[in-house]
This record gives sequence, structure tokens and C-alpha cells, in this order.
Amino acid sequence: MTHLPFIIASYGLFIALALYLSAGAALRLRTARLKLLSLEPAKPSSPGKKSVS
Amino acid sequence: MTRKTRRLWLVIICVACFGTAAALMLRAFSSDIVFFVTPSQLTQNAQPADRTVKLGGMVVANSVKREKHGDTPVSSFEVTDGQSAVTVNYEGVLPDLFREGQSVVAIGSMKNGIFIASEVLAKHDETYMPKEVAEALKKSGKWDPRFGPPPDAASWNSMTVKDAKKSLLPPPAPAAQ
Amino acid sequence: MFLHSVCETNKPLSASHSSASRLSSFFHRYANPGRFLRLGKVLQPWLTWPAIALTLTGLIWGLFFSPADWQQGDSVRIMYIHVPTAILASAGYAALALCSVLSLVWRHPLADLAAAEIGPVGACITALCLATGSLWGKPMWGAWWVWDARLTSVLILFFLYLGHITLIRAFDDQQRGYRAAAILAIAGAVDLPIIKFSVQWWNTLHQPDSITLTSAPTMSGSMLWPLALSMLGISLGFAAIVLARLRASVMESRIRSLLSNQRRHNGDLS
Repeated sequence: MTHLPFIIASYGLFIALALYLSAGAALRLRTARLKLLSLEPAKPSSPGKKSVS
Repeated sequence: MTRKTRRLWLVIICVACFGTAAALMLRAFSSDIVFFVTPSQLTQNAQPADRTVKLGGMVVANSVKREKHGDTPVSSFEVTDGQSAVTVNYEGVLPDLFREGQSVVAIGSMKNGIFIASEVLAKHDETYMPKEVAEALKKSGKWDPRFGPPPDAASWNSMTVKDAKKSLLPPPAPAAQ
Repeated sequence: MFLHSVCETNKPLSASHSSASRLSSFFHRYANPGRFLRLGKVLQPWLTWPAIALTLTGLIWGLFFSPADWQQGDSVRIMYIHVPTAILASAGYAALALCSVLSLVWRHPLADLAAAEIGPVGACITALCLATGSLWGKPMWGAWWVWDARLTSVLILFFLYLGHITLIRAFDDQQRGYRAAAILAIAGAVDLPIIKFSVQWWNTLHQPDSITLTSAPTMSGSMLWPLALSMLGISLGFAAIVLARLRASVMESRIRSLLSNQRRHNGDLS
């Protein structure tokens, strides 16, 4: 392949960025979900019942 | 008029004003925004000898002369926009994409009617085709890359590498004895 | 289970919702955080998995099975990353500007959160577009960077993204930050047509678009297919990442309001 380092660098940058962004998003989603669960434990849903204590 | 519609109109008017201002500014500066001047622009408006300009155009077929002075390659070629041509001298390694019929941008200045370039950039066009397709087009006589851009894209962009290879094969030889 | 608990609270995210709730506008249907989280959870796998599958297919096809260009050789394979990121850089900014209009005019609370999440992802994509363009330009043109209209206008787009990211977090009063950043995003949208038409309005080193609406693509079909796949895949990936961040952001604002409620509650007791 001609200019192989340039091609590898491009694909490498893309993969690194894709992993960084998606791992970051997944972790943040997980943390938020767990934190919310600990603050607001799931209750049996009954209409009219206020969930904010 | 509700507050929401008033805000909407406010946004629309702001965007229109801002867009007009930007458009006027770009119009006023358009001669500075262009990346290069063409050979005919360069020959019509004589430039002061020490002023650096970027000259863009197509490399004329059969005009490229390459020599070697010691270790540094020296080349000379003509650049044209179809109306006039300017001879360019360049000392250094030309980019890979440099060839006759390619568009290039040379950065340098005019000296005694010859453009002395300090840098040459290759400008590739918007066509992308496999080598085999290019070969097939060349062989069928539809295109000579040294004289300009390829023919209408619709005539070749659905050609597969297999088709192209088939057309490159020599015609079936008469049966051997 | 978790979703039920969120959905029960029909409190909107922002206080300015009272006037807006009278409008049964389409945009406001998902201003309710519980409804948005429910929809987001359903939508997420439909974005994530096709994004991964299409991107991998497109890039592997482009890297190993598509033909080399007749004059650029194998370097043309950088296109399968550069072109999708370039299109997404502009499309992401258009989405940012749209969110800003929704925020300024309709005071949509989710639009503010979405703008805050699109900004960093869009800036990353624009940086990747500039970097791969540079990596492509060096072997082909002979220069890492030139100041032509296309490259400069994309660099300006990158700085607009950076400005938006900074501005939206610059104020102690979050609402003022949203307002200021929205104005910047809308004003910056002027750059989008400049990027698009720069290669037609002025002569540039960057080549004109190969794929246009008006004429046949000046690209061999054997390269167009992997490009189309990676373009679709990377676009879906962008949407998936923004959606995941937006869902997290909605949950975080819910957490903040719960914590401040708790604190107020405890303060009343003491």
C-alpha cells in the first residue's frame, strides 16, 4: 500500500475517537442510572402517588 | 401576536441581517478569498516582481522537463487555463500526483516572464475511479488524462473492475493450430 | 422498574414550561423527561447496533475490498472516514442551530440539554475531519494545511463549536448560558452555506463535491457503496452517542432536583 502510515493514522484516530466517545457516553449513562435508582428506589406504580418524598 | 411568534420573527430577522452582512463581506473580500490566480489573470495584471502569488492551472501536455542539479531535482513546465500559459520553474521534489494534465497550484513570483515557484501543490479533481476503469477509458480512446478531465461520469461510474478488465483483455486469439 | 419511578413525576425540566404547556405542539410532547427517557430507551438499541454494523461493514469494505484510485492509489481509502466526518460536522452544527431555535423561540427545555450534548460530540467529529483531511492532504497535495476557502471555513466551524461549548457553561445562571450559546449557534449557522459552496464560489485547492443532487456522481460505484455505508453508519453512531448523552443528561438534572429537594427538606426539619 502506498502512504500506509497516513491511512493507518486516519483509521486509528477514528477508532480511538469512536471508542472514547461511546465509552464515555455509556459510562455516564450507567452512573446516572445507578445514582437515580439509589435516590429514587423503584416503587409499585400507583396513579396519583407522588414519587418525590 | 403571541410572545412565541414575536420571538420567532426576531430570530428570523436577526439571521437575515447577519446573513446579509456576511454575504456582503465575503463579496467585498472575494478577491482575497480565492486560493490562486489563473495564468490569464496573471499575465493581464502585471504583478510586482517580489510579490508572492499562487498560480493555478493545468499542466500542459508534453511541457514537463525534469533535470537534476546535483541532488536537487529541477523541473520546468507550463501551466494553462485554456487561454494563456505561463512557464513555471521549480527546484525541489514534485508531489506524487503531479503529472501532465493535472491541476496544480504553484506558489512563487514572476521573474522576467517566468514563474519561479518555491512550492508546488497538486490539486486533484473530484473524480474517483479504479485504475482498471481509467485504463479502459484510456484504451477506448474516450480520454487522455494528459489533455484534461475524464468524460461525463454517467458513462463510466457504473463500470465495474470486472467489466474494465474484460475490455482490457486482448481480443480472443484465433484458435491455435 | 426504574422507568416507572421517573415517569410518575410529570414535572417538566424547566420552570418556563407553564406557558408553553398550553401549546399542544409536537415539540413539547417530549419535554416531559419521563416520556423522553421511555422513548430514548426504546430508540437507543435501534441506533447503536445498526451504527456499529454499518460502520464496520463500510470501513472494512473500504479498507480492504474497494479498489485503489487510479491516481491517488490506496490513499483514497482515507475518504471513507474523511467524507462522513465532514458531512457530520456540518449536519451536527445544523442540528445544534435547530435546537437553539427551539430553545430561543419555543423555550423547549430538552433543546437546551440537547444543544449542550451535541456541542462536544460535534467538535470531536470536526477535529477528526480536519485531522484526516490533513493526513490526506500531505501525501496527495503535498501540504498538511493550506488557507483555502473550504479548509478555513471548516476550521471556523470547529472554533464555533468550541465557543458554544465554553459559552453554554460560562454562566452561573444556567438559563443565561443556554440563551447566549443559542444565539452564538444561530449566528454561526451562516458558516454552513459558506462551507458547502466554498468550492464553487471561489477557486480552492480542495476539489468540488463528487456527489451532487443535480448530476451523476463522479465516483466509481465500487467506491460509492462502501462510502454510502460508512456515511450512514457514522451518522447513526453520532445520533446514538448524542442520544445516550442526552438521556444521561436528563437523568442528571432529575438527580440534581431530587438532591436539592432533599436538602431543602432536611433544612426545614432542623
